[in-house]
Amino acid sequence: MSANTLRALVLTGDGINCEVETAEALRLAGFEPEIRHLNDLIREKLTLDALSLGYAVLALPGGFSFGDDLESGKVLALKIRHGLSWDLHEYADRGGLVIGICNGFQALIKMGTFGKDVSITHNAQGRFVNTWVRATPQRSRSLWLKGAGTMELPARHGEGRIVFPVKNRASVLSKLERQGMICLRYEGDPNGSEERIAGLCDPTGRILGLMPHPEAAVRGTAHPSWTGQPDGAGARGDGMQVFENAARAAREAR
Amino acid sequence: MRPEHVDPGAGAMLRRIELAQPELRRRIRWARLIDVFWLELDNPREEVIHALTEIFHDPVLKWLFTGDLIPSAADKHGGMQDLMAASPSLPGTFWALERRFRPGVTDNVARTLSEALGIVLGPRAGGIRAASGSLLLMEGPQLSEDALAGLARDVFCNELIESWTMLSGEELRRNSRFHPEQVQRQFPRVMLKGDRTVERIGLDGLSVSQLEEMSRKRLWALSGPEMLAVREYYSREQTRALRKTYGLADPTDVEMEVIAQTWSEHCKHKIFQARIRYEDQTGENQPLIPNEVNSLFKETISGTTAEIDRPWLISVFKDNAGVVALDEEHALCIKVETHNSPSALDPYGGALTGIVGVNRDILGVGLGAKPIFNTDVFCLAVPDYLQTLPDRLLHPRRILDGVRRGVEHGGNKSGIPTVNGALVFDSRFLGKPLIFCGTGGLMPRQIQGVPTHVKEIRPGDRICMVGGRVGKDGIHGATFSSLALDEHSPVSAVQLGDPITQKRTADFLLEARDRLLFRTLTDNGAGGLSSSIGELATLCGGAKMDISQAKLKYPGLRPYEIVVSESQERMSMAVAPEKMQEFLTLAENRGVEVSVLGEFTDRGLFEIFNGTEPVGILHLDFLHDGNPRLELEAVWTGSPPPPGQVETGFDREAGPMLLQLLSRPNIASKEWMIRQYDHEVQGTSVVKPLHTVSPGSPEERSGPNDGAVLKPKASSWVGVAVGCGINPKLSDVDPYLMAQSAVDEAVRNVLAVGAEYGRPDAVLALVDNFCWPDPVNDAGKAAALVRTCYGLREAALALNAPLVSGKDSMKNDFTGRIQGQEVKISVPPTLLMTCVARVPDVRHARTSDFKAAGDVIFLLGHGEFGLLGSELHSLLSERLREKGGHDRQVVLPVGTAGQGRVRAGRPHWEVANRVYRWLGGAEGKRQLHLRSAHDVSEGGLGVALSECMIARGLGAAIDLPEGNDPWEYCFGEGFHSFLVTVRGATASEVEEELSGLGVPFRRLGMVTSSRQLEVNWKGPAGRQSFQLSTAQLAQAWKKEGYWE
Repeated sequence: MSANTLRALVLTGDGINCEVETAEALRLAGFEPEIRHLNDLIREKLTLDALSLGYAVLALPGGFSFGDDLESGKVLALKIRHGLSWDLHEYADRGGLVIGICNGFQALIKMGTFGKDVSITHNAQGRFVNTWVRATPQRSRSLWLKGAGTMELPARHGEGRIVFPVKNRASVLSKLERQGMICLRYEGDPNGSEERIAGLCDPTGRILGLMPHPEAAVRGTAHPSWTGQPDGAGARGDGMQVFENAARAAREAR
Repeated sequence: MRPEHVDPGAGAMLRRIELAQPELRRRIRWARLIDVFWLELDNPREEVIHALTEIFHDPVLKWLFTGDLIPSAADKHGGMQDLMAASPSLPGTFWALERRFRPGVTDNVARTLSEALGIVLGPRAGGIRAASGSLLLMEGPQLSEDALAGLARDVFCNELIESWTMLSGEELRRNSRFHPEQVQRQFPRVMLKGDRTVERIGLDGLSVSQLEEMSRKRLWALSGPEMLAVREYYSREQTRALRKTYGLADPTDVEMEVIAQTWSEHCKHKIFQARIRYEDQTGENQPLIPNEVNSLFKETISGTTAEIDRPWLISVFKDNAGVVALDEEHALCIKVETHNSPSALDPYGGALTGIVGVNRDILGVGLGAKPIFNTDVFCLAVPDYLQTLPDRLLHPRRILDGVRRGVEHGGNKSGIPTVNGALVFDSRFLGKPLIFCGTGGLMPRQIQGVPTHVKEIRPGDRICMVGGRVGKDGIHGATFSSLALDEHSPVSAVQLGDPITQKRTADFLLEARDRLLFRTLTDNGAGGLSSSIGELATLCGGAKMDISQAKLKYPGLRPYEIVVSESQERMSMAVAPEKMQEFLTLAENRGVEVSVLGEFTDRGLFEIFNGTEPVGILHLDFLHDGNPRLELEAVWTGSPPPPGQVETGFDREAGPMLLQLLSRPNIASKEWMIRQYDHEVQGTSVVKPLHTVSPGSPEERSGPNDGAVLKPKASSWVGVAVGCGINPKLSDVDPYLMAQSAVDEAVRNVLAVGAEYGRPDAVLALVDNFCWPDPVNDAGKAAALVRTCYGLREAALALNAPLVSGKDSMKNDFTGRIQGQEVKISVPPTLLMTCVARVPDVRHARTSDFKAAGDVIFLLGHGEFGLLGSELHSLLSERLREKGGHDRQVVLPVGTAGQGRVRAGRPHWEVANRVYRWLGGAEGKRQLHLRSAHDVSEGGLGVALSECMIARGLGAAIDLPEGNDPWEYCFGEGFHSFLVTVRGATASEVEEELSGLGVPFRRLGMVTSSRQLEVNWKGPAGRQSFQLSTAQLAQAWKKEGYWE
């Protein structure tokens, strides 16, 4: 690996299906993405050390891993935990960056990345929904969202509603807020998520999970009303800054 | 779900109950939906507890009821009563309905659970068997056993694939359901006799009617002449001698099944190959239609394409999909299929297998293409159908709900965006709904120098079946769909798709393709192995297949069942012997199963063995070319007399009529549906089914687009546009016109969004899908088919738009009973045209929304509209029928009586070419000034204007031209017309260019900021006008609450 290359590992397999556009967004931001099948990583026993040495970013793309059966992201989380035993917090501490988008976010939650008191389930309306949302970065430690303003991004999910335990909801919420983990909120309410949470980060800000798809909003012509916007065709999509932030953070981490 | 959280699953179920049985819905005071699993595991108790906790336990969200296994995973009782205690009405009257799959039905959730247990238990996992289901827990004092049984049958379950049990509150509290014996008893288990017999079928000495009877009973769908041809084949000396060497004499059931599948209408398209005598009794002989048609396929479909002959056509009509060049590097592949009969029986499973099935056509074209979009078109009876249903038919609302979910799961879970479609409602789709599913794909034109569109096999290549396993599901799908639907249609024809197994298979085969690990492939669809291997065998001249090597879902399948089973998610491949090891290793690493079933040969035979026992030996040439030609009679007796007219005040009636048209299910917003499909996955979306302004804000508003545009390549601005056209109501006027209308609309839909047109290298291709009432022994329906084909041919030739792929479904009739009375319901002759075209640069793509006040509105095209066969005509006919009248009595409105006879819009291809060449960039350059474009179709100009206004909430003021009847101009439908807008400042430049090029157009008016539609015309009393607010138009179009 040359000193200037920033490699990114993009997972695929078992029904993950946004790996190509996620890799492309990372490439546009300056990474050298590698799409790798989870089975190959497990077979090769890619250790946390190898992950940290080899890759500046680990991306868990969107999709329908294991058909969303049982719970969305659940079986993927089990497979990663049992097959690879990566400690993502350790990876982050060593300078790694993690992004989980949509199904990847669900898997991160089910792996316990954001604590045992956060879960995610079916949208309140009981339906899958593909709609563009406005999502605003909050005051948080997230390196991925640093300096970003309100973004217009597509959301495409049936299970995007963050839930907390009802009994100690207040204390869970204040803990997340205290640690700067609530990093992205919807302007509207597309799915009934607690506190309109669209994304969470870990306390270091290096791990980001979010339901909307920044990788599907890197081009101006992806926006649902670009034909009516001045220079809609030439503009960049709002999602691009997420990946550019990561490239900046990755360079700083060396 | 713990009681303190809302339960969206129960909420969605209650909404479905509300729509189907509102009265019963009111009796349910409270409901929860619970996932149920049945499990069999050999592991010790502690390991099981540990594994289940890891997989299911989510203390934030869930309770886990496991009897006495893990009581602490719920509240104080550890059982269902904990949940019941949360009901608002206590002590309450509780009921539950529990559903589970019938034995052998694909259970995807159980498959995932087994995998999850395998992951958690690792090598210790032993003897895992799982089944999944769900339990609807309800509280309500007025709920009766009868009402709940009705609920189970009509809403909660499809009894073809699911069984259900009713449980009282008392039983639920007892927890006895967790006893091992009880679980054992309820476990869906396939019990087959395990009989490996191959039956010998004696054909000698039987009369034609006996042969026909045999064919009918065994669901072969072979006609008398076909049975005779089979018998003749077996009596040949050459056949006998060959069979003797294998120890065979009489035909085996395996052979008869293989012949029946291969010769089925579904696979062979006998009607399109038939010799047809066509007679036109109207005296107005259409010069383009000959009296003797040798083969509709050759003369009007493939012949038309041959005549148009474009350099960018790569592979047409010989593979699983049409292949055209997108650019130097990539080819675009397209295929559209129907899945009508299965969707009638099980809408969800039928549509799901429909979409994943057509995905496999794309995966199986050439060396395999990557699916990049899906389309879906549903033709159904109206969802608020109120009359009595014939026995065994499902209510249209259930069908709609099921097929929508099927396409949602099929597309979303496969990561393929669903970008285009249509919904067409007509009461004649009650007997058989038409469910069209299409897929487009992208394929590199070469891989390591090997052209991808060529299919080649060498003798000695191995036969590999890849993906899912073979089961009893989907036996006789091909022959079944070649018969009319009736109350006895077989349940084994129903299948459920498994998108995740297919996704894994697809990922694997694209990876294997890029490493050239296989020689060629095809999909396993209708007819199962008999068709896929039977067809591949023709590439090298033979195949020797051993079915004992096929991986099965469960033991006990008979040999013929293995050969014809249409179990899903399978591909058949030819792999060179030297690549086998690498191929198998990659498959294993991707978690994909491969069955090696023998090898391809050059012996001219399809040899089928069960182990060492020969069970079927057929000459390939007989199998593929031995069926007798069908002969059909077609008689066209002319269009029905047009309806009368009545003078109707346009000033009073036009506004209300426009609002009613906007609320018609054929026209109203499909947003409820579109948003449940992922239309943006893969990150390629440029023009979406809906454009949306201020997304995610309270001011968010959406309006419809005509077609979709995708940017499939990250490295290039080249785009793909896709659109469709379908207009079955015009079949009632003239099927010839219906076909032309479908072609014209499909082409206009892609032109509106920015497709190229008119230059010799402009890529624009058509796909035809015919869905017909059976034309065999019905000269009228056969004539409709002939006229449609020639109408299609004329339109395609006129527009230089080659047909590249197609499919027909010819038995869309239902015979059954309503309260003992026999009824027959046939679909109207229906042609769906799908158009794919290149967009040279997606940055010039267009949407239909008016962009800003001050923009000038033009109508492009000759502006000749007709009310005959229009949506307004349908609306008036339906109203009349509701009052007990007959269609023939309908009268259409006219501004001033005596202006002329009622007419339908007619094509004018020379005009079309002038308009389309300009829009498509072949002439002029000021089409780049267009700010919006929308075709004028269902509901006419009034509806088109409204749709353009809705998304941005703008207004419009237009003047209807003098000398036209306002009804006809505003609500008539026709050909070639678009509404377009340009900035006020550029309007005169555009006008100048259009005039110079001879493109017919009319300046209609302006986009305004007034938030209302204002239509002005010169009536008998001078200048008149009507106004409607944009909000009223939007409200009518959205018609909230109509759908789930």
